[in-house]
Amino acid sequence: MQSDRLILRGGRVVCPLTGTDSVRDVIVQGGRIVSVAERSDSAEGRVVDCAGKVVAPGFTDLGAELGDPGKTWREDLSSGSEAGAAGGFTTIVCSPRTDPVIDTPVAVSEVLGRAAAVTGARIDVAGALTVGLAGEKLSELGRMAEAGAVAFSDGRLCMANSALLRRALDYARPFGHPVMLRPGNQELERSGVMHEGIVSSQVGLRGIPAAAEELGVAQAVAFARLTGASVHLSQVTTATSVNQLRHAQIEGLPISAAVPARHLLMTDSAVDESVYDTATRLLPPLRSDSDRVALIQGVSEGTIGCITADHVPLTRLEKELEYMFAKPGAMGLETALSAALTAIDDVHSVIRAMAVAPADVIGRRASIESGAVADIVVFDASVRRTVCGPYRSKGINEPLEGSELRGEIALTVRDGCIIYGPRTL
Amino acid sequence: MNRKDMLGLRDVSREEITEILNTAERFRNVSERQIKKVPTLRGRTVVTFFMENSTRTRMSFDLAAKRLSADTLGFSASSSSTKKGETLMDTARNIDAMKPDAIIIRHSAAGAPHMLAKAFPWSVLNAGDGINEHPSQALLDMLTMRDHLGTLDGKTVAIVGDVYHSRVARSNIFGLTTMGAKVVVAGPGTMCPPSMSHLGVEVRHSIDEVVEDADVVMMLRIQRERLQPGMMSTVNEYSRFYGLDLDRLNKARPEVLVMHPGPINRGVEMSPEVADGKQSVILEQVTNGVAVRMALLYLLLGGEPMGGDANAV
Repeated sequence: MQSDRLILRGGRVVCPLTGTDSVRDVIVQGGRIVSVAERSDSAEGRVVDCAGKVVAPGFTDLGAELGDPGKTWREDLSSGSEAGAAGGFTTIVCSPRTDPVIDTPVAVSEVLGRAAAVTGARIDVAGALTVGLAGEKLSELGRMAEAGAVAFSDGRLCMANSALLRRALDYARPFGHPVMLRPGNQELERSGVMHEGIVSSQVGLRGIPAAAEELGVAQAVAFARLTGASVHLSQVTTATSVNQLRHAQIEGLPISAAVPARHLLMTDSAVDESVYDTATRLLPPLRSDSDRVALIQGVSEGTIGCITADHVPLTRLEKELEYMFAKPGAMGLETALSAALTAIDDVHSVIRAMAVAPADVIGRRASIESGAVADIVVFDASVRRTVCGPYRSKGINEPLEGSELRGEIALTVRDGCIIYGPRTL
Repeated sequence: MNRKDMLGLRDVSREEITEILNTAERFRNVSERQIKKVPTLRGRTVVTFFMENSTRTRMSFDLAAKRLSADTLGFSASSSSTKKGETLMDTARNIDAMKPDAIIIRHSAAGAPHMLAKAFPWSVLNAGDGINEHPSQALLDMLTMRDHLGTLDGKTVAIVGDVYHSRVARSNIFGLTTMGAKVVVAGPGTMCPPSMSHLGVEVRHSIDEVVEDADVVMMLRIQRERLQPGMMSTVNEYSRFYGLDLDRLNKARPEVLVMHPGPINRGVEMSPEVADGKQSVILEQVTNGVAVRMALLYLLLGGEPMGGDANAV
């Protein structure tokens, strides 16, 4: 990728870390931001008119399933990277849930080596916490960190063995990387295909109780206290989870959390309204409306620091099936900002949750300031659009398809290069 | 009735249910004749597509279609064998290519009939999808109740057993509450969770409590082969707490109706004396099944209005 001098002119720069919220010209050169000024007369380089738009630090997602290597019919590094760019993401941490699993330093290097060539969002790697994501034996966490992994995770899988999870956290702590966990419970989730509640009893599908997630949150909180390891809960989706987190944070425990953007907008009634559309089959499942309201509150007050795209692209092969046989998951990279803005009517909260907080989890600083890496997103926060394809992702499973949402990405810049944006802009 | 499919009773109106039951009543005499056939659906093709085992429902639908002179064609596969190869949608596309008029489907996955109904032009009749619905069974149950009680409005129906995982119970709950009946359910805590009250039923845990003032007691089959671990302890204990025997039945109203969707586990949910007793209408249910399914096929496939086609019936 070649980076030219770029002038983002007249946009509303919103940078939570520096406290900026005003109209500025942002000048980018050599992959870095070189100036954030009220008015720059310089016209040297490519000028992009950003009037009426928000200019913010690029977004970071901590757990996209890119399926590369091994499941590239779903997504690959290149399509995932482009989908991320289209959604305003400049960094994507890919989940180790690949085939083979990214559970060795060689696998980390292999993916990072190929990821260097992508032309959309930057791709980082989370190494598997346990070998083969089997929850039985620890992976070489230290060597994977040396190879460049930025976090450890068992993807969507919940470890059944509590003693091993406790040791994994103890073991990971000195390497300084966060351990990302999806709070859940294998046994309670085994036969369920949606949230257990009024809607599941109406549509006759087996439910997953909210308690499955809440047990996972309780366990993570207890282990963060016990081990002192940094824990990031990659998907929290219930009102009680938010309460549990609130208490853990008051106590000062090193625990952060993310909510999938669509869970701020959609509820389990979507399963009914769509008449068993398998795009609504998710893990964690869409919850009740009172959960949804609590999640929005959790993001607004900062209890849930991050909003994730929770990107799990799947194909017709995996979704054009009976509801209970369809694979759980939905795409999200290209709709996360719109979902978040539609649910949370506050640009600052959304930017904090999509850019600043997730970058912070992996030890990075997402800011618009002189000297910073030029990872920038420009978006229109008020335009309404109807979600529709074609998508850059290879997936077909976008449950928000057809919804009218707020906000649209205009331009994404990574390392000073335009990775997404209409040519005319 | 103006609908393409019969997927469940949850969204079926009181008027529609009444129309189906009235139509079924008029079809009932076809099965009493020596020549048990009317030409109503001559030239139409009805496919029975059973992805789960079934004896009586399948036979009943098959007979219903044949007594209406439709051509019938059966297709069955265990869902595991189709999981190995062809998807449900592909199987359906193949059936579609043969131009059927209606498909009667039973499937282990809730929503499978809905998926076909959305994708194809022919009528879909749900003959049981997972734990969701079994509308024709509930309709034949309601017809049987109406025969004896005259109306469903204001009547009390007790459903006992694994209500939560029973598609028969769920369709009955939707249909009966629409028709103005009160439904009370009882069973083990794992099978009658308090959350069932969202469906508009009263949840109790003692069979004696629900049998006492019921007009109808519907006993559900314990599907021992399908129970997940921990749903109940032993069959003996189940029978002791939730089985219907003569002692319990004697505390009920004398004219109470005893029903069961079959097949019965004699000695588990119901003692033989009760199953064969004078209050039992279990075999009437089976007879009504054919009439109700004839009515459904007739109404969905757009037969002539009953009034104008009375001679055919």
